[in-house]
Amino acid sequence: MGLNYYQIKKNVLKARKLVIKGTTAAGSGHPGGSFSMAEILGCLLFKFIKYDPKNPLWEERDRLILSKGHASPGLFSNLAVAGYFDPSEIETLRQFGSRLQGHPDLKCPGVEFCGGSLGLGISYSIGNALAAKIDGKNHRIYTIIGDGESDEGQVWEAAMTAVKYKVDKMTVIQDRNFIQQDSYTEKIMPLDEELVGDDLSEMWKDASRWKTGDKWRSFGWNVIEIDGHRIEQIDYAINKAIQTKGVPSIIIARTIKGKGVEHMEDNPQWHGKAPKPEIAPIIDVELDSQFMIAPSIIAGDMSNLENEVKRCADGRADYIHLDVMDGEFVPNKTFDHNKIKELRPITAIPFDAHLMINEPVKHVRDYVEAGCDIITVHAEVCDEASFGEIHDILRQNQVGVGLAINPDTDLPNWSNKFISDLDHLIVMSVVPGKSGQKYIESSHEKTQKLSKKLAEHKFEGYIEADGGINLENAGQCFADGARAFVGGGAIVGQKDVRGIIREFRKTILHTRRKLLIQKAHEFGGTELVNKWIELHVIGEKKNELIQLSKELGYN
Amino acid sequence: MTMTEQLTDMRTEYGKTLIELGKENPNVVVLGADTTDSLKTAKFGEVYPERFFNVGIAEANLVTVAAGLASAGKVAFASTYAIFLPGRCVDQIRNAIAYPSRGDKKGLNVKLVVSHGGLSVGADGGSHQQIEDIAIMRAIPNMRVLIPADSVTVKKLTWIISQQYGPFYMRMARTKTPLIHQESQEFEIGKGITLRDGSDCTIAACGITVKMALDAAESLKQEGISCRVIDGFSVKPIDAELFEKAARETGGIVTCEEHNILAGFGSAIAEVVSERYPVPIKRIGAQDMFGESARDKEIPLLFEKHGITSVNIAKKVKEIRSKS
Repeated sequence: MGLNYYQIKKNVLKARKLVIKGTTAAGSGHPGGSFSMAEILGCLLFKFIKYDPKNPLWEERDRLILSKGHASPGLFSNLAVAGYFDPSEIETLRQFGSRLQGHPDLKCPGVEFCGGSLGLGISYSIGNALAAKIDGKNHRIYTIIGDGESDEGQVWEAAMTAVKYKVDKMTVIQDRNFIQQDSYTEKIMPLDEELVGDDLSEMWKDASRWKTGDKWRSFGWNVIEIDGHRIEQIDYAINKAIQTKGVPSIIIARTIKGKGVEHMEDNPQWHGKAPKPEIAPIIDVELDSQFMIAPSIIAGDMSNLENEVKRCADGRADYIHLDVMDGEFVPNKTFDHNKIKELRPITAIPFDAHLMINEPVKHVRDYVEAGCDIITVHAEVCDEASFGEIHDILRQNQVGVGLAINPDTDLPNWSNKFISDLDHLIVMSVVPGKSGQKYIESSHEKTQKLSKKLAEHKFEGYIEADGGINLENAGQCFADGARAFVGGGAIVGQKDVRGIIREFRKTILHTRRKLLIQKAHEFGGTELVNKWIELHVIGEKKNELIQLSKELGYN
Repeated sequence: MTMTEQLTDMRTEYGKTLIELGKENPNVVVLGADTTDSLKTAKFGEVYPERFFNVGIAEANLVTVAAGLASAGKVAFASTYAIFLPGRCVDQIRNAIAYPSRGDKKGLNVKLVVSHGGLSVGADGGSHQQIEDIAIMRAIPNMRVLIPADSVTVKKLTWIISQQYGPFYMRMARTKTPLIHQESQEFEIGKGITLRDGSDCTIAACGITVKMALDAAESLKQEGISCRVIDGFSVKPIDAELFEKAARETGGIVTCEEHNILAGFGSAIAEVVSERYPVPIKRIGAQDMFGESARDKEIPLLFEKHGITSVNIAKKVKEIRSKS
């Protein structure tokens, strides 16, 4: 079974956009804490939790208890995406007569707990779990608490009770976003260590300063610490918690408040404030412009791919691109599913198998079984029937569905019917077959055209730029419409993979910021551009934005 | 009054009844917070260990775990001393128990049954004498408030609230109490019980002060004053019709409770009567002052300090009558 990576990502994006829609319409609400837990909720609802939106009170359902109830826009948005009600209802958020109250309310289908008065969720979940135990029921309870919320003494009363009664059907997830209403948690009431100065990122980097998990460990809990925005880590942690018997589990998920919108990220102001209506469209574009970096390991030491995978994982790649070549579809041979199976245990990071092989329909199951999370096949060796079969196999196994085209290939007509359901499209910008080639310049124009066509066909996936991508052309590729970037020699070929990935992100982010300024200008001229830039009060972003705006002649 | 009275213990009756309930209804669960021996709920735990939870000295947790159990279909009885529930946990009671509503089901099915309500706690002192619980609990939507006068009432009400959906608060006294009601007495939520008919004035009481009301009525009878006595155990919902009728027919009401006179039982009656059929009302209760330590034999002195005595009830009845 794959991670269901792209489906989760797509739903998380939809939910984030609904949060903006809802809070903007309401003129108030809590986007910051909704965004920090966005991936967590996405994984829970679209991978783990058993529920039936047509029958919200189905007895066997798993329970999702949002203890940090102020993040209700995040919960409601996810429930809408999950099918409990029409997404348009989000615009009634906080309105008189709405089912979508300022804090979660049982009026809204799918809501299990009226959270918001903080510190209550774990106790309530324990009660639910104890009842399930008496009744011999097997459902699980997932409880999301905040870090600011953990100032509440009742959290720790519940922590003891859960251990006493061996409540192992409950998984608590702490959304550790380091911010509470007044300011940074470590300033108001340190959970880790007192924050000296204002640089939150220092806190993030230095694991020796993380004490939150130790508190829970000392209470007897099974503690799993992860990056709460990485789907594969959330997936790993939840699985680990499910397997742990006899003690309760808590996942300390380090997150970023306001994640996904640069001016909200790590900014305490956005704990409980809605975006201005004129800013919302820019936020929408920003949310649509997320991107991923995927190193291709064949650019490294082929005799030690294990080490290359490790380097990519340590380098915080979004996923790892695995070029499978069979020596027939392309002249070279690299490795097959057997090697992938060997590499799989090294990391939880998603594996994207790019199958440059003939008759992929015959082999695709092997790659599913090897543990790939995304599988891409070439349009040149598929037709409607075989791709349809591949599509179905992949979907059944929660594996992402990718299609690839060579530089001299256009999207075949038969693929049109799959576009809206495609997870990613690889636009090859070198002739596949070997690493180290130069980017074919005409690929820029091709990607731009494709990007338009795909949009017309309601494509919701990522265009992946693959072949000769480097720091010089990545920005332009982003402007063309690419949102995933495969880096061979330019990443894996470098000594400091982590450093170079950071550089890639910086470069692409720069282009993205430029694009957003242009969009802002389009929506509301220089005035809106300046207004939007003014929102970027945390870190160094503002200076770069002002510079970009100048370059564009907007001031 | 030299007649010897049979004294019974409310908590003992409560503990016994829970075990009977547990046998009848497998969904009944009982929770405590390190006072289970005193509340007599520990025995339930011996009989039904899998349905009994002692969460330690953590009342906020107690109340919220009970809410969680109720959310999964359990009838959850959560018990400790009065001072530690309404006063300490009003937020959890409000938000985790009373507030969550789905369709016709208003609030969750949690029964908060406490002991040691009011001044009669005695020796433990004012810090432990909860004289604000009626005020707190009756202000919470969906919450119903019951103050039994004796162990018969405790037994009957424990059964009734286990069968009626929704949140209840029932306050027992620490001290042993004389029997007021016959075993055959029927109880209904929202209905007061007229213990003695009369036409000159009404005395309404709840909890252990019902006995004082009866004594006052008896002594007034010697003086030719005929008093109606009502056991207003159902403080919320209150029996508006019964008190309106009493106002019409007797022309005045004296209320008595071991609770602050502000926002308590007397206030609830005054609200109803002033809107429906205004007549003079005198409220007897803690005089907006905290209590203080009093050993068992001194509890009458503590009551006397606040005017919670049959003598004072009789005095207030006469005051009302002299004005009318």
